[in-house]
Amino acid sequence: MIPVEYWVIFSSLLFAIGAYGVLTRRNAIVVLMSIEVMLNAANINLVAFSSYHTTLHGFSDASGQAFALFSIAIAAAEVAVGLAIILSVYRRYQTIDVDKINILRW
Amino acid sequence: MLEYAWLIPVFPFLAFILIGLLPKRTLGWENGGGYAIGGAVGAFVLSMLVIWDVLNGKTLTDNSVKTTWLVIGDSVRITFGIYVDQLTAVMLLVISIVGTLVVIYSGGYMHEEGVGRRRYYAEIMLFISVMYGLVIANNYLEMFIFWELVGLCSYLLIGFWYEKPSAASAAKRAFIVTRVGDIMFMAGLIILFKYVGNLDFSALFGQGGQSIVSRGLIPKDMLTLSTLLIFGGAIGKSAQFPLHEWLPDAMEGPTTVSALIHAATMVKAGVYLTARTYPLLVLTPDTLLFVAIIGGFTALLAATVALAANDIKRVLAYSTISQLGYMILGLGAGGYLVIHSQSSGGYTAAMLHLMNHGFFKALLFLCAGSVIHAVGTNDMRLMGGLRKRMPITSITMLIGAIAIGGIPPLSGFWSKDEVLSAVYHSGEFDFTFFVLWAFGVATAFLTAFYMFRMWFMAFSGTPRSEAHAHESPKIMTVPLMILAGLALVSGFALFIGEGFKKFLETSLRLSDIPLLAPGEPGEVASEIFSDPLTYLSLGLAIVGILIAYRIYYLPGFDRAVFARGVPGAFQRALENRWYISKFYDDFAYKVWYGFSIVADMFDRYVIDGVVNGFAYLGANTGNVIRKGQSGDVRRYTSLVVVGIVLLILFLVYIMPWIRGQGDWFGGWS
Repeated sequence: MIPVEYWVIFSSLLFAIGAYGVLTRRNAIVVLMSIEVMLNAANINLVAFSSYHTTLHGFSDASGQAFALFSIAIAAAEVAVGLAIILSVYRRYQTIDVDKINILRW
Repeated sequence: MLEYAWLIPVFPFLAFILIGLLPKRTLGWENGGGYAIGGAVGAFVLSMLVIWDVLNGKTLTDNSVKTTWLVIGDSVRITFGIYVDQLTAVMLLVISIVGTLVVIYSGGYMHEEGVGRRRYYAEIMLFISVMYGLVIANNYLEMFIFWELVGLCSYLLIGFWYEKPSAASAAKRAFIVTRVGDIMFMAGLIILFKYVGNLDFSALFGQGGQSIVSRGLIPKDMLTLSTLLIFGGAIGKSAQFPLHEWLPDAMEGPTTVSALIHAATMVKAGVYLTARTYPLLVLTPDTLLFVAIIGGFTALLAATVALAANDIKRVLAYSTISQLGYMILGLGAGGYLVIHSQSSGGYTAAMLHLMNHGFFKALLFLCAGSVIHAVGTNDMRLMGGLRKRMPITSITMLIGAIAIGGIPPLSGFWSKDEVLSAVYHSGEFDFTFFVLWAFGVATAFLTAFYMFRMWFMAFSGTPRSEAHAHESPKIMTVPLMILAGLALVSGFALFIGEGFKKFLETSLRLSDIPLLAPGEPGEVASEIFSDPLTYLSLGLAIVGILIAYRIYYLPGFDRAVFARGVPGAFQRALENRWYISKFYDDFAYKVWYGFSIVADMFDRYVIDGVVNGFAYLGANTGNVIRKGQSGDVRRYTSLVVVGIVLLILFLVYIMPWIRGQGDWFGGWS
């Protein structure tokens, strides 16, 4: 059994990588992919702690896994919406560079 | 009957409401004059019934007829009630007689005013109503309310011809100048109220035999301050120096208004206030001395200005100020007599003078109104020769002039002599009163002179203008004759029954000081005629009349002498009212206007600057901060990440340190 600390460190790294991607990439699709990475880091955390519950209390609790499943489903919907937005942005501006799409400001 | 005295002001007030609200075509005779006469006569009849009761020895001073107006906390209860004693009766007599006659006279005098008469009658009825209210009030606060209301009516009626700029500004002047006194009056009341907690006359005048000072309710110094301030109200309302300049300007109003408000009733309110406050004044001799000095000085000052006035109403206005000064002087000196020789001589003399003056000065003003009505001008230089054309007016005015001049047996002589004798006798206790007595005697001389100057200028000689003067209608001359009759006989009040002195003395509810009963009427008379000082003032008055006769009646006197050298300078000073009016104007235009400019600047730049500055600050801050909304998604994200990192660092490292080095995660579970 892999100790829970490993999972936590792993999911933290995954989250940090995703955050780094969101901050540094200008391509909206890559930003969206990075967000998916961060979401999956959170999912891994949920599943890891769900498994750790059995180690801690002696009986299992599947709610962490159920949350992860919901999260995956919602992420799929989110990707659909996000890609649709990016597609219409591209049609309007002929670019998906987030630095260039900045009309929502003062 | 006395319990119903509160109905007296109700009659004129109803007339005021009716004249003000009735449809135009139901106003009837003289556009509301009928209702006005009805209201005035109703109040007159009730007043006479009340006076009859008072003459029969009944009074209502126990604060029994009242209604609660305000309740503050548990203990303070401000009431509206009535207080009727001999002093009230004297005031009621003057107001009811003069008020009724003036309203009747207005039927003729205001005839040409057209629709303006409705406003005139409504305002004059309101005035009569609140004037009655003023004299029957049973506490200072109630009195103060009516006091302000008579000031309002005075303002409205002085400015009756408000299209005329001089009338509008005279009205404002009267209102503002008297307001200075009113503020002092109110301050005096606040002091009294703070210490005693009650402004009812019955509570303040110590009916139990002990004054509020000896009961320890108020320190003597504070009472002195309070009475001084209350007297400040009298200075404003009764036009005493230095607040006297509004009264001559108030002559811009109709002459009937001058007669009623600015001669016979409202300006007496200050004297009435001083007389009403007597039980407190005699506890504070310093105030009494101040009262006497103001009165004596005003009497002389105003009499000198009247010497050079050419406007018939201004002569009478200055004469009114001068005679009010007499009353105030009599009250001030009378207080010393009360304290030192237990005699009420000055108090009764001053109030007798108030009554007499009410009649003869109303008479003089109404006569002047009759003359103005006939010749259409106020300027005496344009009159002359009216004796033949206006016989009734000339004779009644002559009676008024003799009465005010102090020639026996007309009314003015008795009261003026009593006032002067009271002042002279109080000289034994303070030397100042001898000086004031000399002022008073000089005033008596000047009064006789300027009154006859006025009469000769108006009625004798040949006409100096084209106007075709004619005698006034009966509705105007009959009130003149009634008032002339009163001016002839009202002085004999000293000798009717037990005498005016004994009658009025019972109204003095003095505590700590027992009063000696005044002499019988016979003794009073023999005292007057055995005193050489009587003959001195009488002689001076006759000399004054003779000088006026020489200068203004007999031909051959070169009046150009008044325009040259020392008399010329004197004449110019008098024509400019001793430059007091000019001083006030300069003060207002230069000093006060300068201050107003500074205040305006302060408002414009400091107050508005602060307000505008805050608005400017908000707008600018917004301008700077909105630059943060860059629309750059990656910058927003970076800020979110930095924020979260800082929050985590705070929760993990700073928070446990704040909570006392504890383990944060440990504290969680």
